[in-house]
Amino acid sequence: MAFVMNTLKQTTITEPVEEAAGQHPPAAIGAKPWTSFQKVIFRIAFLFFIIISLPTSWNWYQNVFTMDWLHPHYRDLYDIARFQPNILGNVRWWPNWLGYGEWLFLLLVSVVGGFIWTAVANRRKRDRREYNELYYWLRVIVRYRAGIGIIGFGFTKLMPTQLPYPSLGLLNTNFGDFTAQKIYWLSIGIVPWYEVFTGIVEVLAGVLLFFRATTFWGAVLLFGALADIVYVNLAYDGGVHGYSSYFVLLAGFLLVYYIRDLYNLLIKERFTVPFHYYPTLTGWQRIARVGLKVATFVIFLGLLYWTQYVNFRYDPYKQPAQKGVAQLRGNYRVTEFRVNNQLIPYSPLDSLRWQEATFENWSTLTFKAARAVPLDLSNGGGSPMRDLNRTFELTGVAGGQRVFYYDADTVTHTLYLQDKYRPAGRGNREEGGSDEGSKKPRKEKAPDNWIPATALAHIGPEDSKIHSLARSTRRTKGVVSEAKRDGKRNRMILQYRTTDGGRVILSGINENRDSIYVVLDRVNRKYVLSESTLKAGSY
Amino acid sequence: MNKLTKNSTVLQPDTRFSEPARLDDSKGLFAQREPAAWTEPEKGLFRFSFLCFFIQAVPLDPRFYGDLLTIHWDKYYYRDLFNLSRYAPRFFGPVDTFANWGVVALIALIGKVIWTLRDRDRRNYNELYYVLRVILRYRLAIGVLAYGFIKLFPMQAPLPSISNLNTAYGDFSAWKLFSMSLGIVPSYESFLGLVEITGGLLLLNRKTATIGTLIILPFTGNVFMSNLAYEGGEYVYSFYLITMALFLFAFDAVPLIRLLSLELPTKPHRFKFVLTEPWQRTARLVLKSAFIFFGVILYGYKTYAAYQLGPYQFPQAPGLPGASGLYNVTEFRLNNLVVPYSREDSARWQDVVFEKWATLSIKSNRPVKLHQPNTEQIGLTDADRDYELAGSAGRHYYTYQIDAVRHLLTLENRNPNYAGETWQLHYERPSASRIILSGRDQNRDSVYVVLDKLNKKYLLNEAAKAGRRGTLNL
Repeated sequence: MAFVMNTLKQTTITEPVEEAAGQHPPAAIGAKPWTSFQKVIFRIAFLFFIIISLPTSWNWYQNVFTMDWLHPHYRDLYDIARFQPNILGNVRWWPNWLGYGEWLFLLLVSVVGGFIWTAVANRRKRDRREYNELYYWLRVIVRYRAGIGIIGFGFTKLMPTQLPYPSLGLLNTNFGDFTAQKIYWLSIGIVPWYEVFTGIVEVLAGVLLFFRATTFWGAVLLFGALADIVYVNLAYDGGVHGYSSYFVLLAGFLLVYYIRDLYNLLIKERFTVPFHYYPTLTGWQRIARVGLKVATFVIFLGLLYWTQYVNFRYDPYKQPAQKGVAQLRGNYRVTEFRVNNQLIPYSPLDSLRWQEATFENWSTLTFKAARAVPLDLSNGGGSPMRDLNRTFELTGVAGGQRVFYYDADTVTHTLYLQDKYRPAGRGNREEGGSDEGSKKPRKEKAPDNWIPATALAHIGPEDSKIHSLARSTRRTKGVVSEAKRDGKRNRMILQYRTTDGGRVILSGINENRDSIYVVLDRVNRKYVLSESTLKAGSY
Repeated sequence: MNKLTKNSTVLQPDTRFSEPARLDDSKGLFAQREPAAWTEPEKGLFRFSFLCFFIQAVPLDPRFYGDLLTIHWDKYYYRDLFNLSRYAPRFFGPVDTFANWGVVALIALIGKVIWTLRDRDRRNYNELYYVLRVILRYRLAIGVLAYGFIKLFPMQAPLPSISNLNTAYGDFSAWKLFSMSLGIVPSYESFLGLVEITGGLLLLNRKTATIGTLIILPFTGNVFMSNLAYEGGEYVYSFYLITMALFLFAFDAVPLIRLLSLELPTKPHRFKFVLTEPWQRTARLVLKSAFIFFGVILYGYKTYAAYQLGPYQFPQAPGLPGASGLYNVTEFRLNNLVVPYSREDSARWQDVVFEKWATLSIKSNRPVKLHQPNTEQIGLTDADRDYELAGSAGRHYYTYQIDAVRHLLTLENRNPNYAGETWQLHYERPSASRIILSGRDQNRDSVYVVLDKLNKKYLLNEAAKAGRRGTLNL
């Protein structure tokens, strides 16, 4: 951008003379030279905020250029909105410091860069009077970075999927058998309308950042809301403190611009003439500006909203999407339980006997037994496409609660069940992390055909089981690739019999290859907690 | 307004290129202007608002002064001040409803009509507007400070009791879950308290009041939304505080939008309430100091002292020594017949919790009629401290008295829906982990119960040690 082309926007002096407190052009005010100190600070800040505001990971660019724009998944767009500084990554020679080590590293790099820049500028003896134009563009980049980022996050709340309403299995789990992280996520999940409200606040903050006139208000909102989220994540070990701090930092940077004027007006109670530098755009520049702005709106408010809506409606990303067998759904007491044909009476201390069982509305069976099992302590996030890998109902839950995914052959009344817990399956599914790393090739296991071909034919492919509106290329590909990468899991094959749905008899082979025979009787479990009036998914 | 144009000529050419601050009339040129006249609608709106907010904020109810005069100066000072701080005019009984606001608006409307008739010639209400803002600043400040301190010293939402930890998630009301979810992270609760207190303290200074409202509005706005969402009982009161914060914010809203959104040169508010007489200045100093002493320093100190004594939400009388924990009901006899383990039998106990204090709770399939108070109450007596059973089904809660000589526990159901449900049990402690209870239950049936302590590990505590990326078998 040629500097000569740019003049100050003249709107600032259209006010009545009495208001402007003088007839001189306000252009002059604030356009004075910057001090050397200000210039050095600016150069450092410029480098730092440019580095953290632009995507630096190869995966990000790969996603943008390989995603299917005609059949988009909400996560395609979310991944565009969702990045944070990750140049250093996890290295041994630099401390992690809860993830803030990276920031410090980048700050040090920027300080060095800032001093080199200063030295070069001094040496060439063509030192600039000020950096108003560069400051303007830096603020534009930060505004759009923060705005797009928070909108990406906000929509998963506005269409309440990020913090789901608890499944029956979770409702039946004791309060002390959750992790703190789980308790926080559930505490928002139980009030979906409130979650919508927080989503509106986040999206609104983002939209306000897209306009000069509302940037201050957007930044205040973003700063306050995200500072709270940072503290929440640190307190509950939620794992998203890094990404939320990132927005606090960006919002804080945007607010610095206004501090002097605010201080003058409110504290010193002085007449305050704001100084704003705006470049004048001409010709193609204007078209480019309007084009980029419109594209931002269309993609991150229009398209993202739509993909997020169909996700909420048909394929909520933390909740399995396939319908459960209709006549099985509900809570059950375990009336009779046999292992290898031996009756085991009910005891709260027995490690084998099921104490209660639940068929969710979707493809999940949960039951409880008094046996310690390895737990998945991650936050059940990420973007798994297969129901089997959607682990929100499992992660951070103890109390002997077991969670199995099932494929139902409704012709032969057979359930093919797989444990949703997978020993090697943790780590990639962090809500805080992006999907980077999950695309690494893993050793493919040979298919062992434990589900017979006839049953597979009855079950049908997973991908097409959701509404066609919600289908996407990402899902189609993901279902296939996740199946290839799946590890070893516990399995059960159970026949089910039910006449009126009141009593269900399960019989077959459990995960220890013992034969089991279980009589379940439906219970009408009443909860104190009010039912959700805004339900994700279609079952 | 015209004088301003003249003022601008005072500026020396070189000052034009200086900082905006230098354009300021440090010689008081603006201040000498005659205050502008208000329009009729402005005056009308002000009269109505003044009366409305005055009735809402200034205690006119004699009961308030009764409570004020009987305030405890001992450890319950914080409780009494907390209750006083929640004053709002009530015409329809103790429960807060928006109907009260309707009555206030009606009174204000009548007052406004009379006032308008009798005060037509008034140019403006700058002084009265200032006085109203002072009243509201202090009213709002004490409102948020009162709640801020019981969060800073995390008492409002305490750590869940053992019984609460052993109750299914779905057996709690949303409001109780909200409180317990906050209770597990005392540091976060303190942080929220600190934010609230900061907002309150900023209100005590005229110049920082607007910044204070910028903190209070989102904070209390969120409290209001939470009350609606979680079916809490304080949405009227939190909205009451929000209206005051909005009114205070409105004072600077126009200049702020002018400066920050329209990016135009902006005049600050220049009105100063001048106290001419020395006694007035002394009175101001005394009142402000008293507010800070009684509302911040003493209240903060007493809240801290109460926190040191333990959360006010739970009873204080100690329970059976060394008994606290979760117990399996190994054996259960009803009228001398053994009843095996059952999750369906409403008489068969499933597990029992002894708290550190004198509460025991029994899990059985006997339904619970919910006790659901949903406003914040600081109970004086143990009987009033009902947090443990509030909004919670799944367990029956009994307070007990110990007769250590005759080895008797006198149990009383804590739930007001089961008032008068009192019975006695004989206890034996053959070993440290076993308690045997026998006697007649609430139905006069004879019971004999063997309780064995479980070494229950709570993921909530264990996960904190293992970390989110750790591994754990539980």
